[in-house]
Amino acid sequence: MNFWEKITGSDLTKEFKSYESRVAKLPADYQAAWKIMNANLWSQSDFTGRSLMPILDGVLGLFEETAADGQSVQEVLGDDIKGFCSALAGEAGAKTFRDKWREQLNSNIAKKLGN
Amino acid sequence: MLKGVLEGCVLEIISRKETYGYDITRQLNALGFTDVVEGTVYTILIRLEKNKLVEITKKPSDMGPPRKFFAINDAGRQELLRFWEKWKFVSSKMNELKEKKG
Repeated sequence: MNFWEKITGSDLTKEFKSYESRVAKLPADYQAAWKIMNANLWSQSDFTGRSLMPILDGVLGLFEETAADGQSVQEVLGDDIKGFCSALAGEAGAKTFRDKWREQLNSNIAKKLGN
Repeated sequence: MLKGVLEGCVLEIISRKETYGYDITRQLNALGFTDVVEGTVYTILIRLEKNKLVEITKKPSDMGPPRKFFAINDAGRQELLRFWEKWKFVSSKMNELKEKKG
């Protein structure tokens, strides 16, 4: 990632385009789930969404494998897509806005207490 | 409650033979964990990978994209031992508690 890409996020756009073309090859129910997941996951992202990219890549891989097996997306994710998303984001260690706020709050309090 | 236990189950399954997500899910289903879906196993595998307890190889499959295969490593084996120790402790204490009731 060079400076230009870092500022404009052009590398992300490119990566995202390639994700979209992979998604387009998946069955309809997978595409619907992908949309819901995206809506849920982006609220967990950092400012640029860079932290989310490897996670999305992994999920796409999972979708491609299971779709090739002929499984429905319901069989793969169960009925708790939201829970799946937060487990994903939490475990893949993506830093979110909330983490940042929490850190800020913690350090502010620590300062106030004179530590 | 199942969450921590499942991680141990998955590691145990991987320790027996190099395997992949779909197969692990089916084995857990066959064992009686019927509501475990592939997505659940997937998040567990990510965690195992992040904690460097498994080795990963990609192998081509007859249909679709290459599959990720998981094999246990030394750190994983040690973790598995710790898991079963903890499990032995918990289950013996649980049984003790249940028997005292009567």
